[in-house]
Parts: sequence; structure tokens; C-alpha cells
Amino acid sequence: MGKTFTFIGLFLVLCLALLLAVVAGDYGPWYFAWMVGTVMIVLIAACGAIMLDNQRQNGNGEV
Amino acid sequence: MEVYVILKLVWAVLLGVLLSGLAVMVGMDMGVGTLLRFVGKTDAERRVALNIIGPHWDGNQVWFILGGGAIFAAFPTLYATSFSVFYVVMILLLFSMIMRPVAFEYRSKVETGKWRATWDWAFLISGALPMIVYGAAFGNVMQGVGYHYDWTGQYYQDESFIFYLLNPFALLCGVMSLALSIQQGGTMLMLRGEEPIFSRARAAAIWGGIIGVALFIVGGFWVAHLKGFAMTAPVNPGAPATPLTGQSVAPVVGAWMHNYAAYPLLWALPLLGVVGMLGAVLMNAARKPVIAWWLGAIGWVGAIFTTGASMFPFLMPSTTNPSQSLTVWNASGSAYNLGWMLLFALVFTPIIICYTSWCFYVMRGKVKMDYVTHDDHGY
Amino acid sequence: MPLIDPSVVDLSRLQFALTALYHFLFVPLTLGMTFLLAAMETVYVITGRQIYKEMTQFWGKLFAINFAIGVATGLTMEFEFGTNWSMYSHFVGDVFGTPLAIEGLMAFFMESTFIGLMFFGWDRLSRPGHLAVTWLTALGSNLSALWILIANGFMQSPKGASFNPDTMRLEFNSFLNLVFSEDAQAKFVHTSIAGFVTGALFVMGISAFYILRKQHREFAARSFRMAALFGVISSLAVVTLGDALGRLDYLVQPTKIAAVEGLWQDSDANGPAGAAAWLLFALPDQQAQANHFEIGVPYVLDPLIAHSFNTSIPGLITLEKQVGPRIQSGIQALDALKAYGQTHDPQALASFKAHESDMGYGFLAQRYAPNQDLGQITPANQDAVLAQAEKDTLPNVFVTFWSFRLMMALGFFFVGLFSFAAYYSLKNQLERHPFLLKLCVWSIPLPILACEFGWITAEAGRQPWSVFGWLPTFQAASSHNLGYMIFSLIGFAVLYSAFIAAELYLMFKYARLGPQPHLTGAPESSPSPMFAPAE
Repeated sequence: MGKTFTFIGLFLVLCLALLLAVVAGDYGPWYFAWMVGTVMIVLIAACGAIMLDNQRQNGNGEV
Repeated sequence: MEVYVILKLVWAVLLGVLLSGLAVMVGMDMGVGTLLRFVGKTDAERRVALNIIGPHWDGNQVWFILGGGAIFAAFPTLYATSFSVFYVVMILLLFSMIMRPVAFEYRSKVETGKWRATWDWAFLISGALPMIVYGAAFGNVMQGVGYHYDWTGQYYQDESFIFYLLNPFALLCGVMSLALSIQQGGTMLMLRGEEPIFSRARAAAIWGGIIGVALFIVGGFWVAHLKGFAMTAPVNPGAPATPLTGQSVAPVVGAWMHNYAAYPLLWALPLLGVVGMLGAVLMNAARKPVIAWWLGAIGWVGAIFTTGASMFPFLMPSTTNPSQSLTVWNASGSAYNLGWMLLFALVFTPIIICYTSWCFYVMRGKVKMDYVTHDDHGY
Repeated sequence: MPLIDPSVVDLSRLQFALTALYHFLFVPLTLGMTFLLAAMETVYVITGRQIYKEMTQFWGKLFAINFAIGVATGLTMEFEFGTNWSMYSHFVGDVFGTPLAIEGLMAFFMESTFIGLMFFGWDRLSRPGHLAVTWLTALGSNLSALWILIANGFMQSPKGASFNPDTMRLEFNSFLNLVFSEDAQAKFVHTSIAGFVTGALFVMGISAFYILRKQHREFAARSFRMAALFGVISSLAVVTLGDALGRLDYLVQPTKIAAVEGLWQDSDANGPAGAAAWLLFALPDQQAQANHFEIGVPYVLDPLIAHSFNTSIPGLITLEKQVGPRIQSGIQALDALKAYGQTHDPQALASFKAHESDMGYGFLAQRYAPNQDLGQITPANQDAVLAQAEKDTLPNVFVTFWSFRLMMALGFFFVGLFSFAAYYSLKNQLERHPFLLKLCVWSIPLPILACEFGWITAEAGRQPWSVFGWLPTFQAASSHNLGYMIFSLIGFAVLYSAFIAAELYLMFKYARLGPQPHLTGAPESSPSPMFAPAE
């Protein structure tokens, strides 16, 4: 039961994202670029930190 | 009725709601600021008092910003004219308002007595002064302001600002507004504070409420003898909004009571104000701050809507050219704009209420003395 | 109708410019830091490592010191439209006030409510709950910027409103045109990302300081890495968007772009348009309408501005000459409008409608009309009035030219700095390059400076207009007396100086202090990661 709700919830998020992408992509290409770009920038910064954690685990202690 | 007239009316009511929200929420924080030096004798007590509203002052302050923005959009001519004719007072209000966020954030970050004492004074000024100005603005507007427009819509001020600062009726309104803010702030301190803050705040809140209700009643009798303003010819409420043409107005003593004579049901508003304020006094005396907080809020709403109902449809009458007085009909935005704004208000107000309540819910409970000494996120 | 005392207008402009520039010292850092904090906390929630929580809290504390003044000085901005620009507020409030009100409803409430929870809710919210709060704060602060820049976009390129002669103001008529105005779009993204660069360099610079002093090593290495990656993409994006914005201005505000490039003659005046030089250095002279000591790079100007090799870009002298007929037509528009206001005569309305689009240019002529009354312009004195008014349509070229160049130079410097920083951080070789680290520390204030220059370019380049093509700045001010302005200016100077002193003192104090272990004594037990690796 809980899984069904999760799926319905994610489905709604997906629909919203698609709608946003279509509308924003049509009328406000720069706004759309900002949304995608900002999330990307944040995730890449996050990946960099996790990569550093891995480098430490592999024995590289330099800064 | 035309859609445009309905929109203007809706926004007039929403203006009242915003001014009430501002008075209740910002007034509460201002009250805490004013009382800070009196409810807190030691530094730790003062920090407790600050942390009671710490998580909320910023959100509450948005009522003030939203109030400004909504007047700008819904009644552009009112915004343009009132802020300029009250220039000196507005700038003073602004100076004290901008001191407050900085005081919150900076006060407890340095541990010298002089630094903290300076910011405590900043809290007092930035708590008391804006509330006096807020009330005095109502008092001044009720008596009319000296201004007129030329054909392009540029306003010209016709009297000195000294008049706005030293005017007995406006001062009465200012002190009343300060008293009510002390009531609301004191109640909030009781809600989330412990002894000894609780008892000190209680005394202040009770006195604030008593002074507030007394001045409210005195002000009511005073208004009956005040020079009000009345339309001398019928106006078309649905006409394009411009103060330049289409209106004839004359000053009439006691005109602010005409609406009450015409619609006796309106007496419910001042009654609501008195009941709210007195009820809050009694509940504070009975040590029931939650009920007192809500009654105090009702008192504010009653007071502000009483003013609005007595002046309706006037927003800011002009003493030097009464026919160019600003009213709900002639100072509003266009129908298209009011419609869009209403849509946004309808969508976002419930959301705002939801997350503001959630924020209060998450931060519920008493602020303890050891919180401020052991937690470095607080103020 | 007499015009407002020019010195009152100048002081009003001075006050607005100073308070806006001061406000803008703090805003970019807010825009960028909130998303950086969100990134750090995201890593904390995913990995469950305590160090990322400490990072979020420490940088959050520095952020809070900055945020308070940003909020406080933002209040000034909202009040000043009413207190100092009464005619402006009346004239465009119907369309300009709306984004400001929506900003309050949609963004500022969100940002301010959640920021309280962000600082106070650490022990009261679940980890994903607190992360959501941090993200919402970041989103809220950037949405705030969005609505403010939509409003500013309207001043730059008025879309979504039309003039109503019955109410004497511009009235809102298309929400979509206002919100999706290209100027607003590009402006928002450019400004928001410029904030990202500011935030990234702030975190990176202070981390570099710790690395240089061998303090808080692991903490600083992670902060540096995240900020460097955050910044390298942001700085590339900000340059791209700057180019987009320049091209838009070329289309809607040719005078601004000609002033930005110091272009007096058309770009094809001396040879083919494609060969025109892009100026690296010049001293523009407004009086002589020429540049001194030009140093330029040929074949760059045309592709840069018009994205083509054979488009002639109009120069300032040409633009000034073109405006004459519009001023003439604007005078007729205002005469007809005044007549319509008094008599509601349909003929006057028809005559106004014929010249409506030039109305704003008529205001420009008012300054030079006999007794400042447009009705007294006759065929005999018209040419003299036009000649003076035409000159007013050009912005201050020196200021626009240089503020743009400094902003751009800084922008490219950031791309370079972040590239090296990210490269050496990824290779874990930062300590081998102390010069780079020192450069990072010294560069902390530079993005803020670049933001300020960008703001000056945009606003000084729009002059003489307050709303481009509709309302000149000198017409938009409130008719105060001089004493009022002196009173408020002195007040702002005193208050704002005290604030900046307190801010810098605290900023240095807490940055030097560095991240501190919690006072609560016992270290919190490290919670398990959200997505635990398979065991």
C-alpha cells in the first residue's frame, strides 16, 4: 500500500516536472535553463565533496 | 455591480487585513523589542526574550514588506502620495525598522556589555518608534493631509511636516498603537517565557491593554467632533481610477460617524475592538496567554476596521484640495491588475498560513535559560 | 507646471543609487550562499558525515551576519519608490507594484519563515526535513530576486502594459508578457548566477585562508572543493548570460549598448561593419562626442554585439539625431493629452493616440521649453529646444563604458581563477600552490565589486529614462524640498556606515575564529547515512 502511494506521488512529481519543462521551455527558456542549471551546479558541487571523501579513503591525505 | 467595483472593494478589505496582520505580527515583535530592557534584567534574560521571537521575527516582518508591496500594487496612487507627503516620518520609521534585523543578528555575537547595551537601546527605539508612527499615520490620515496634484499626476505638498509630528489626535493614536503592541508582545513573552520574565511581561501586557482600550474609547469620542470628509455629489465607483477628476468633496465636522449612522451594524466593529482588548487584559490577568494573544489580535482587527469603516470610501483625504482626496474608488489599480493580484493572494495566502503555523508549531514550547547559554544557533 | 528642482532630483538619484548599491553589497552573497549551504547539507544527509553538518552550520553563521543587513536595507528599497519617486510610483505602480507584491507573497514570506527554521530547527526537525527547509530558503531568496528583476526588466524594456489617458498612467495588460519578458529572463539568470559566483568565491577564499594557515584542514579542503566546482560552472554561466543580455540591450536599448561600447560613429563609418574594433581602452568625451586614446581589437565588435559579421551597429551620434522627430511628436502627444484631461474631447484623444508611442520623449523637451511649459513651444523656438533635448537622450558614456569593462574583466578573471582552483582541488594539490590560495583570499570582495559595476552599467546606461521610452528620471521624482533630502541622506550615511563597520567586524571575527566544536559538550553520535552502502 505504502509503495503504491510512493509511486502515485512520484508520478505526480513527474507530471509536474514535465508540465513545468514544457511551459517554461516554451515561454521562458532562460528560466528553464536556470532551474536545470542550478540543480546541476549544486549536484556537481556535492559530487566533488563525495569524490574527496573517496580520495581520502584511498589514502590520499593531501589538500 | 460591476466586476471592477467588486475588485476595488475586495482590495479595500484586503488592505484592512494586511494592515491588521502587520499590526498583530510586527506589533508583537516590536512590543518585545520595546519591553526587552524591562522584562530582562540580566543579559541571559534578555537573550531568552529575544529567542522567544527569534525564529519568527523575520517571517513576521514580511507582513510589513507585503503591506508596502500590496499598497503599491493595489492602490498605486495612495502609495505614491502617502509615502511622499509623510516623508520625514516615513524616513524615521525606515531608520528604526532597518535597525531591528541588524540588532537581532548582531547583538549576541559579541560578548562585551557596551556592545550589547547599545543594541538593546536599538531594540527599544526600533520597537517603540515604528509603532508610534504607525498609529500616528492613522491619526493623520483621518484628519486629512495637505496635498494636491497637477495634470500629470505629480503631487505637491502644501503643509510642513511638523504638523504630522506634533498633532494631538495623531499622538493619541500613536500611543494607543504602542500600548497595543506592548500588550501583544508581553503576551507572547508570557506564552514562551518562564519566571521571572513571565510576571514582568504580564504586568506590562495588562497595562498596555488597559491604556490601549482607554485611548481607543477616548479616540472614538474625539472622532465624532473631528472634521471629517464627505462626498457632496454622487461618484461613479466603477470609473477609471484617477484622483484628478470626477469627484467633489467637502470637509464636514463629524462626517466620520456618517457610515455608522447609515449602517448601525457597523457598531459591531468598535465593539469587537473593545471586547478583544478588554478580554486580553482579563485573560492575561488570569494567566492564560494563548487566549489573550488571540483576543489581543481581535482587538487590533477591531480597531483597524473601525477606522476603515468610518472613513470609507476615503483612504487619505486632502485638506487643501478635498476634491482630489484619495478614495477606494480613485486610488486603486486597474481591473486587470487587481484581478491578477487577487488570484495570487488566493493561491498563496493559504500556503503562507500553513507554513507559518507549521513554523510556530515546530518551535513551540518554553524557551529555557540553559538554551541560550548552551546553544550557539540562537540570538 | 514647473519641474522639480534639479538638485532635488539629483539628490534623490544619489540617495537611491547609494542605497541600492549598498543593498546590493549583501544580496549576491545571499543568492549564492543559500544554494551552497543546500549543497553542503545535501551531502550531509546523503552520506551522514558530521563534517558536512559542521560546514553547513559554520557557513550558515557567516551567511546570517550578511543576511541581516540584506533584509534591513531591502526595506529601504521598497519604501524609496514611494518616498522619493512619487510620480514614478503613480505612473507605473499598476504594473510595477504587482511583481513587488507577488515577491512578498510568494518568495519573501517563504525565505524569511524558513530561514528562522534553518537556524533554529536543527534539533527539532528530521534530517530530510531540515534539508527541505534549507532548499526552500535558497529557492525563496532566488525567487525574491526573480520578481524584483521582473520589475526591473519592466523599467528596461516595458512589456505587458499600455498607457491609459483616463488615468494618466501605464496600466497592466498582460501578465505573461511581463513575466516572460526577455529582458527580465536574462536579467534574472545573470544576476542570480552572479550571486552564485559571489557566494562560491566567498567560501573558497575563506577556505583558502584556512588551508594557508594549516587550520581546519579537512573542513577547508571540502569547502574549497565544493565552492570551486560551484564557482567554475557559475562563472562560465554568468559570462554566457552577460552576452545574451548585451544582445537584448542591443535590440531594445540601442543607446545603452552604444554607450557601453563607446561607439560614437556607426560601426560601418570607417570601413565594413564586421571590421569595427572592440575597444579595450578609451576615454569617452561626452562634450566632443568622441573618444580619446582608443585601443581596440578589430573584427570583435560586430560578432560580439549583433552575433553577425555585416550588421551596422548605430552609433550615439546617429541615435541622437534620430530622436528629434520623436521628441517633436511627443510634444504633440502631451499637448493633446493635457487638452483631453481638461475637456475629455474625443478629438484631442484621437490626436494623442496618433502620437502616443512618443509621449515620453515629449517629457524630455519640457525642461528646455520656455517657462517649462510645452504649450509655449512655437515653430520659432522649437529647433533650439529639440537640439538641447536630443543631447539628453544619451546616457553618461564614460560611466557606462568603464563600469561595463571592469565588470567584464572581472568576469573573465573569475572563470580563470575558478578553473585553476577547481583543477588543483580535484588533484588535491592546493597546498603546493600558495600563490593561487592567496589570490583566492584577496579575490573575496571582487565578485561583489563586479555585481556593483554590472548594476551601474544597467542603470546608468538606461538614463535619461526611469522607464525606458516612457518616463524620464527627472520627471519621476517626488517634489520634496532640499532640506528633506539632506536630512535623509545624512541619516542613511550615518546608519549605513555603522552597519558596515559592525558587519565587517563580525565577519572578520567569525571567519578568523573558524568552525568551532559544539558547546554542548558530548559530540553527537554520527547518524547512519541515508543511503547506506551495501554491507
